[in-house]
Amino acid sequence: MASTPRRASLKKTIAILIPAVFAQAAGNVLLSMRMKQIGTSQLFVLVPRAVESPTLWFGTALLIVSFLLFLTALSWADLSFVVPAVSMEVAMNVIFAHHFLHEVVSLTRWSGVLLISIGVLLILRSESQKVQGIQEL
Amino acid sequence: MKTVVLIAMIVLADSTGDVFLTRGMKQVGEISTLHPRTLLAIGRKVITNKSFLSGIFFMAVTFFSFVIVLSWADLSFVFPARSLIYVTSTFGAKWILKETISFQRWGGILLVCLGVALVSLP
Repeated sequence: MASTPRRASLKKTIAILIPAVFAQAAGNVLLSMRMKQIGTSQLFVLVPRAVESPTLWFGTALLIVSFLLFLTALSWADLSFVVPAVSMEVAMNVIFAHHFLHEVVSLTRWSGVLLISIGVLLILRSESQKVQGIQEL
Repeated sequence: MKTVVLIAMIVLADSTGDVFLTRGMKQVGEISTLHPRTLLAIGRKVITNKSFLSGIFFMAVTFFSFVIVLSWADLSFVFPARSLIYVTSTFGAKWILKETISFQRWGGILLVCLGVALVSLP
C-alpha cells in the first residue's frame, strides 16, 4: 500500500518544483539586469561593484533557494521526473527575458519553448499515470 | 575533437552528479517538515553524506569543464549540445537508480531535449 503517500508526493513535488522554476528564472533575470547596468568587463571594476550590489546578492540567493528546492524534491521523487520537469526553467528564462528584459526572441527560440512545454506536460502525465498504476495494484 | 571530448565529459559528469545527488537525498530520506531545527539537522546529514558530496564534486567538474571549453568553443554550439544531459541522466536513473521509465516519459524527455537545443541556438 505505497499508493497513498505516492499520490500525495506528486502534489508535493509539483508544489516544490514550481517555486524552484520561478526562483531560478527570477534569479537569472536579476543577475542579467544588474550585470548589464554595471556594464563593464574589466574585472577590477566589475568585482567590487558586483559584491556591493544588493540586487546581485538577492539574485544569487534566489538561485540557491532554487537548488535547495530541487534537492528537496529529489529526496522522494524520481530523478527521471525531476530533471526534465525542471527544464521548464529554460522556457521560463526565455519568457522572463522577453517580458522583463525586453529581449528580442527569435521564432526558433519560441518553438523551443513550445517543445519544452509539451515535453514537460507529457512527463507530468507519465508521472500521474505511474501513480494511478500503483494505486490499481 | 578536443571540444567533443570536453562536451562528453560535461554531459557525463553532470548526469553522474545528478545520480549521486539523488542517491544521497534518498539516503537522507524524504523531507517533510518545515521546522527550522529539524531542517538544520537534515542539512547537516545531507552535507556529510558521501553520495551527496560526490554529486557536488561531479557538479564542480561539470562547471569547470564548461568554463574551460568556452575558452575556445562557441557557446551557441556547447549549450545546445548540453541538452544531451536530459537523455544521459534518464539512462542513469534507469540503470543505476532502477527507476521505471514509460514510453510516454521517454517521449517527453526527447521533446524537452529538442526544445532546449532549439532555445539555445543563436
